[in-house]
Amino acid sequence: APRAPAALCRGLARPAGPPSARQLREAEEAAPVFQYVGKAAKRKDRVFVWGFSHSGALGVPSFVKPDAGWKKPRRIQPTPYRLETEAKISSAACGYGFTLLSSDTSDITKVWGMGLNKDSQLGFQRSIRDRTKGYEYVLEPSPIPLPLEKPQQTRVLQVSCGRAHSLILTDSEGVFTMGNNSYGQCGRKVVEDETYSESHLIHQLKEFDSRVVQVVCGQDHSLFRTKKGAVYACGWGADGQTGLGHYDITSVPTKLRGDIAGVNIIQVSSYGDSCLAVSDEGDIFGWGNSEYLQLASVTETTQVNVPRHLPFKIGKIKEAACGGTGNIALTEEGNVFVWGYGILGKGPNLIETAVPEMIPPSLFGWSDFNPDIRVAHVRCGLSQFAALTNRGELFVWGKNLRGCLGTGRKEDQYFPWRVTVPGEVVDVACGVDHMVSMVKSFT
Amino acid sequence: LNAAPGRAPRQHVRFLPAPAGGDGGATGLVAARVPVLADHPLVRGPRFRRLKIGAGHRLDTKASGVFVLGIGHGNKLLTDLYNCHLTKVYTVGGLFGKATDDFSDTGKLVEKTTFDHITREKLERILAVIQGTNHKALLMHSNIDMKTQEAYELAVKGLIRPMGKSPPIITAIRCLQFAFPEFQLEIHCLHETQQYLRKVVHEIGLELKSSAVCTQVRRIRDGVFTLDDALLRTQWNLQSIQNAIWDCQLKVKTELEKTLG
Repeated sequence: APRAPAALCRGLARPAGPPSARQLREAEEAAPVFQYVGKAAKRKDRVFVWGFSHSGALGVPSFVKPDAGWKKPRRIQPTPYRLETEAKISSAACGYGFTLLSSDTSDITKVWGMGLNKDSQLGFQRSIRDRTKGYEYVLEPSPIPLPLEKPQQTRVLQVSCGRAHSLILTDSEGVFTMGNNSYGQCGRKVVEDETYSESHLIHQLKEFDSRVVQVVCGQDHSLFRTKKGAVYACGWGADGQTGLGHYDITSVPTKLRGDIAGVNIIQVSSYGDSCLAVSDEGDIFGWGNSEYLQLASVTETTQVNVPRHLPFKIGKIKEAACGGTGNIALTEEGNVFVWGYGILGKGPNLIETAVPEMIPPSLFGWSDFNPDIRVAHVRCGLSQFAALTNRGELFVWGKNLRGCLGTGRKEDQYFPWRVTVPGEVVDVACGVDHMVSMVKSFT
Repeated sequence: LNAAPGRAPRQHVRFLPAPAGGDGGATGLVAARVPVLADHPLVRGPRFRRLKIGAGHRLDTKASGVFVLGIGHGNKLLTDLYNCHLTKVYTVGGLFGKATDDFSDTGKLVEKTTFDHITREKLERILAVIQGTNHKALLMHSNIDMKTQEAYELAVKGLIRPMGKSPPIITAIRCLQFAFPEFQLEIHCLHETQQYLRKVVHEIGLELKSSAVCTQVRRIRDGVFTLDDALLRTQWNLQSIQNAIWDCQLKVKTELEKTLG
């Protein structure tokens, strides 16, 4: 038989077969290890926005003016969309078609605004095309220049937005107000026939009994809470929302009396024409519009112009939020109570109630499997409610006006529904038709 | 089973000639009960030649745990149990640092990553989010109109479940043990496959910016059947099987009545 020539023999070479277990183990140990994130990786802070975007309130210019000609503008963003910001945003507020974001940095730019600017509620945004005119719609978060005395030391603590005005709270230079002042809501004297658009005027308020720690904007009025526990108000008062005992407008912040006098208030809330205040002992006080049974437990009148104590037997109240027609309160035990009118969160049958009704905790994810889930914060938009749990989940319910609930569906939501946000939600600001949330990433 | 005493043979009435001697001519008929010849064991043969056994929810070759079988008439109950859509509970073991092509530790290695940044807290956060999104999927696939009052009542009680076909849904998930780099999860789920659970482990690894493989999948509960009712390999004899069927009968009946009405 012909033998193959020596050059073609393979000698000691073995044909390749399936790798043995030892070969597999060695190959595995020799494989390179990838490192995606180091041991000291920090969780990133992000901002997510959703809702009605055509006014530019979401801060994404491609929603209103798309990049390519064939794309259509996106009127509504139904699910959370990430907004890129330069700095870490510590406080956000949604007004009626505009948004303010603020950071507590010591840089010069501390506050950004986007959305409607027809009443200069975002300050004067100089137009690039014509240097003497300002923008009426701001599509991207644009810095708002504040007349600070010490711009590199003062920090902005909180922002708040109403229908056409906004308030910015700083730690050492008082409160700055901008926007519409036709009812004195900016805290300065009403000037007849003043044009508010393209106005450079930013008013500064400093005369309070102690440092202001919280500012809240109602629809056309402003509330200030000071460190000593007093509440000041100015603006439109026809529904008694200024709580000063009369139904006229007030253009200078004045201290509230009534049942609040002498009580240390730890939180104030308002968004429409009624207001709520929580004291350090867990009592709740309300004033303003009561057409929707918000204060019907103490009085039959529909406009209450003096703060009244609401004697609810629901436990010590930790936090309360006031919406257009409905109110929500959170007790120390973590129970959520709603009252007022509208979609309150207990199914389609509960439309209005004057006495607070509790929302069962099982709707927020509480079960025998997870017994330590608690609601940590409650927030209110004009006809929506939002609740944040201690696990960082966001639940919304109410009227789904132009996709503001963020559920991705167009229908109204009659009981608390989770919003899928890729991160742990730290805070949320609710507006009329859009919402902004501050989120920490998971890892 | 065939050695057990069977049914007594049928009896019928036959008119037999009386054992009368004497004349040999006139025969009187006497009625007597005699067993039917056709029922005689030697004629009929063994009673059970084949057994119909049906399987409940599927279990992989790489997984272990409770596996429900129906015997004979019990197969009809199997379809009813399937339509109840009850949750199953698994213990899933995982290992950080590796990623393989079939998500289990016996597969071909795809990538190795560092995992020293992973803490129990981060894992629990990811599990909370998985639970949240799956809870939302549960409500959406249950095909109930969210605007009705009954939907609200069911949601409060936690009884909303998809009663038809749906993608795999995890109703509850929690971390039982976290011995770095291994971890063990308990998963309650509906309409799933074991490969889907391995994929979930892989995705948890990705979410934590590392990688994970699944080392163990064990079903500890399937509807009403738990590990205590399950028979071990050494117990596969007639007596224990009969006892097990007898014990579970009542449980299965009450569960079917409760769910299917």
